[in-house]
Amino acid sequence: MNEVTRHEAQANVPARERRSRAMRPPVDIYEENDALFVVADMPGVTREGLNVEVDGNLLSIEGEIRIDIPEGLTATYAEAQAQRYERRFTLSHEIDTAAIEARLENGVLHLRLPRKERHRSRRIEIKAA
Amino acid sequence: MFGDLKRFDNGIGSGFDWFRPWLDEIFQEGAADIRSVPRGSFPMINVGRTDDAVRVYVLAAGLAQDDLDISVQDNVLTLRGRRDALPGENESDRKRPCFRRERFDGEFVRAISLPEGIDVERAEARCHDGVFEIHLPKREELKPRRIDIQAA
Repeated sequence: MNEVTRHEAQANVPARERRSRAMRPPVDIYEENDALFVVADMPGVTREGLNVEVDGNLLSIEGEIRIDIPEGLTATYAEAQAQRYERRFTLSHEIDTAAIEARLENGVLHLRLPRKERHRSRRIEIKAA
Repeated sequence: MFGDLKRFDNGIGSGFDWFRPWLDEIFQEGAADIRSVPRGSFPMINVGRTDDAVRVYVLAAGLAQDDLDISVQDNVLTLRGRRDALPGENESDRKRPCFRRERFDGEFVRAISLPEGIDVERAEARCHDGVFEIHLPKREELKPRRIDIQAA
């Protein structure tokens, strides 16, 4: 939580304005086989418009919607009211940030955040006395 | 996209979802359209118009070309489909620890009424990166026409 606050404070005014116009993509987060998985809906985002960053223990997901809009189009109804998506998460220390993998498919971002080797769970066998 | 349109913007972000039902209860708008959907329904839809066409943008992440069924009848555009939030999920996967489940999962249908005078025969749709663009041209005779002024 502190990390987020610090980042906000550093941001200059235009950046903050832009940020307020970003949509918050819905996510599914689950854990499986020594990794955390984050799945985010970001329709309209291409590989070039996607930015996934880890700064310390802060994971930022940002994406820009790239849609060709014809000249002279006036909006009559809009549920999507921003050109960008943005969402942040703080990571716990056991995530191996260097090994994070990202995949983008039909506007769905899939992130795999593996745990560090030494933090992986180990099953302890119970021996008969 | 459509960032200039602020019709629904009441200054409250989507992070305040718990707040909205309570707010809706206080500021009841009377009877809702039977096909209207709450905010944040899947998929998100934007509609715009140009002089010669209506354009519908359907933001349906995770859907490929064949996953969305688009039809028009009596000036009502209907979008149908199914989105599995986590495809390939089987029984054993359902038991894995899940921290958040915010993404839409299952079947959906959304209907939008279109303005009069759409030439359905010439309608087209394209999709890329989870966005479907539906191009609905207006009938020729309904396009705006420039009237020349002739010298008397």
